[in-house]
Amino acid sequence: MRIAVLLLGLAVGVLVGLMGIGGGVIVVPALVYLHGFLNLPGMDQHMAQGTSLFLQLPPVGLGALYLYWKRGQVNWRAGLACAVGFLAGGYFGSLVAIGIPSKHLQGLFGLFLMVAAALLWHRSGSRPAAASPGSSSGGRANG
Amino acid sequence: MVDSRARLGWILLLACGVGVMSGLFGVGGGVILVPLLVLLFQFEQHEAQGTSLVALVPPTGLLAFLNYAHAGHVNWTVGLLLMPGVFFGGMLGSRLAQSLSPGRMRRIFAALLFLLGAWQAASSWLL
Repeated sequence: MRIAVLLLGLAVGVLVGLMGIGGGVIVVPALVYLHGFLNLPGMDQHMAQGTSLFLQLPPVGLGALYLYWKRGQVNWRAGLACAVGFLAGGYFGSLVAIGIPSKHLQGLFGLFLMVAAALLWHRSGSRPAAASPGSSSGGRANG
Repeated sequence: MVDSRARLGWILLLACGVGVMSGLFGVGGGVILVPLLVLLFQFEQHEAQGTSLVALVPPTGLLAFLNYAHAGHVNWTVGLLLMPGVFFGGMLGSRLAQSLSPGRMRRIFAALLFLLGAWQAASSWLL
């Protein structure tokens, strides 16, 4: 079980760095569906979500962030504003989640993933997002 | 820029909304934040991803996590085992992000997420 979970973490981490996300979107379904394979009894939707939040308490994305920062691809002020918003919003969201039965929470999570997927897909078609330092990104970074 | 403060305020408001979802679904929130920063605030893709990682460095999920922990919904061992992999994998992934075509990469990821989401929704409500 241990090796498999460690490897799962590594795979999730690659996505974290690649997409600039926390990794929960992959960790949660992976834990729910692989709980038999990973030998994790009692790993339902709630437990997977709580474990995902736990794993994101330490700055697991710090190494990835450092590499983005070296390339000047970080907007600190916007990032901090988002951190404050996440903290506050997360409190209320978790209260709602705990009151929902695991079965329905899992379904809602699925819908959430589909919305997230649609948002990601939408953008990628319209504008090349390749890094072009000095073009529009420089001005935006401070503005 | 003149609109800097107002823009930051809107970003804060957006993050509050994304935070509710992050507490609701136990995720970091980056998966929604990144596309919205690009769509609504004209961030360049790599910049949006780097900025999202800033928001994930402080323990922003702390309050949400405490609520889950209080309700007994945390598997500590599994969480601890996942941490090192995510850290080192994250460094590997951010190197890859610089060399891969971000547009295609995101489409693959979006397709994966969509299938995963459809599977989750179907297995809890239909099957």
